[in-house]
Amino acid sequence: MALIRVEHVDKSFPTRHGSISIMQDITFDVKDSDFLAIVGPSGCGKSTLLRLIQGLDRPTAGQILFRDQPVNSVSKQMAMVFQSFALFPWLTVSQNVAFGLEALGWSADRIHPQVERYIEVTGLDGFQEAYPRELSGGMRQRVGLARALAVEPAVLLMDEPFSALDPLTAESLRDEVLQLWQDPSLPPEAVLLVSHNIEEAIELADRVIVLSRRPGRVLAEVTVDLPRPRDRKSTAFYEFTDRVYSLITEGRPSLAGTELPANGDARAG
Amino acid sequence: MPTTYPKSSPTEMMGLLVLLKGHKGSEDVARLADDLDLEIDEILPALEYAEVLQLVTVSDGRATFTDLGKRFVAASIRERKAILRDQLKRTTLFRTLMRALESAPDHSLSDEQLSQIVSFTTAQADEAVQNIVNWGRYAELFRYDSDERRLVARRRPTSNRSPASKPPPPGASASTLGTGGLTPHAPGSSGRSAEKETAAVAIS
Repeated sequence: MALIRVEHVDKSFPTRHGSISIMQDITFDVKDSDFLAIVGPSGCGKSTLLRLIQGLDRPTAGQILFRDQPVNSVSKQMAMVFQSFALFPWLTVSQNVAFGLEALGWSADRIHPQVERYIEVTGLDGFQEAYPRELSGGMRQRVGLARALAVEPAVLLMDEPFSALDPLTAESLRDEVLQLWQDPSLPPEAVLLVSHNIEEAIELADRVIVLSRRPGRVLAEVTVDLPRPRDRKSTAFYEFTDRVYSLITEGRPSLAGTELPANGDARAG
Repeated sequence: MPTTYPKSSPTEMMGLLVLLKGHKGSEDVARLADDLDLEIDEILPALEYAEVLQLVTVSDGRATFTDLGKRFVAASIRERKAILRDQLKRTTLFRTLMRALESAPDHSLSDEQLSQIVSFTTAQADEAVQNIVNWGRYAELFRYDSDERRLVARRRPTSNRSPASKPPPPGASASTLGTGGLTPHAPGSSGRSAEKETAAVAIS
């Protein structure tokens, strides 16, 4: 059974000059134990799509289902990790991690052990009492990750989580996210990653949804059947990145309405 | 030769090790930098830590995992921290710091005292202090109280001030993480590791 089904979703925003279409007819599934990446050029609606999936915003048309139920309000089964970390500067690391649990109405005696557990699994032990200003970008994003995982979401939504980090730090955190997702004793069941970095998507994901320029449409769904850890310098890896780059570049004339492959045509074997 | 603790974080060093793992454990440093579109000098600080902590060896511009380095990248986040903790404790600087913390009356050191200790073992104390605090915190060797601006021992050693408290059992670890099996050197090699400790501070 699909965890999440995105069905024929359109999103447009009203402006003074009429409505602007952000995405059209987006359809895909997130399966159990999936690591799914969404890539596409800036402005294709990737981040908006994550917001729609979590229930922070409503589609203009189409629907989003979580375990066959329509997502009509903010889902407690999903948690988001942000590019900008989105931590509260006046709260300590522990308090930031506890924040989501408090919002869900957990009692204080249950919050503490839960916070400690997720501080430990993300490697934040030793920084419980630190404030975000004392932390490097990598440590801040670990706090973002711990806060999201502490609510034990079925799906972890990640919006460009590594793009504000220096390259070495990003390399380390990608490895840790993969480690957490592969650990059956820990949430989440599935990860949905939005990235503009095609190599990153292919390194991490089982499947990559390729979106076109605005209005975003699904150009292809590429299954990345390479064993992990993936060697970015291998020919097979290069073939995947080359294919996705080609799709996105060919997808350019989509504003003119076009000869693009229809939804799913370029699906990999 | 000046001795410094260059600016880099545990996370950056781990990123470099993950990258090296992707190159099957041995690669030219220039190639590693190129992989991330970085200049060589942008990855050197992280590489120096990896070398000092005996996770890689560097020879003829090529970085190669030690056995411990291989174990490190294959390990979980928690196990990696335990290895870092053990390896940092082998360096003269951290050994000195831990001794100072244990012997300090309230098992804590002010920023100023910390700077003094750091200046005994490295050349650029002021820049290095923050960096060193970060490594020790990540490896759970000590806490840092940013309101009081003090380094604080995580585990209070046997103290005269609280006679009621029992001393920790032999081999008690600073945390619940099991460090058994992660000791990089066989018993009896202490003489050799003492030499390495000396080498460890002399990061050129």
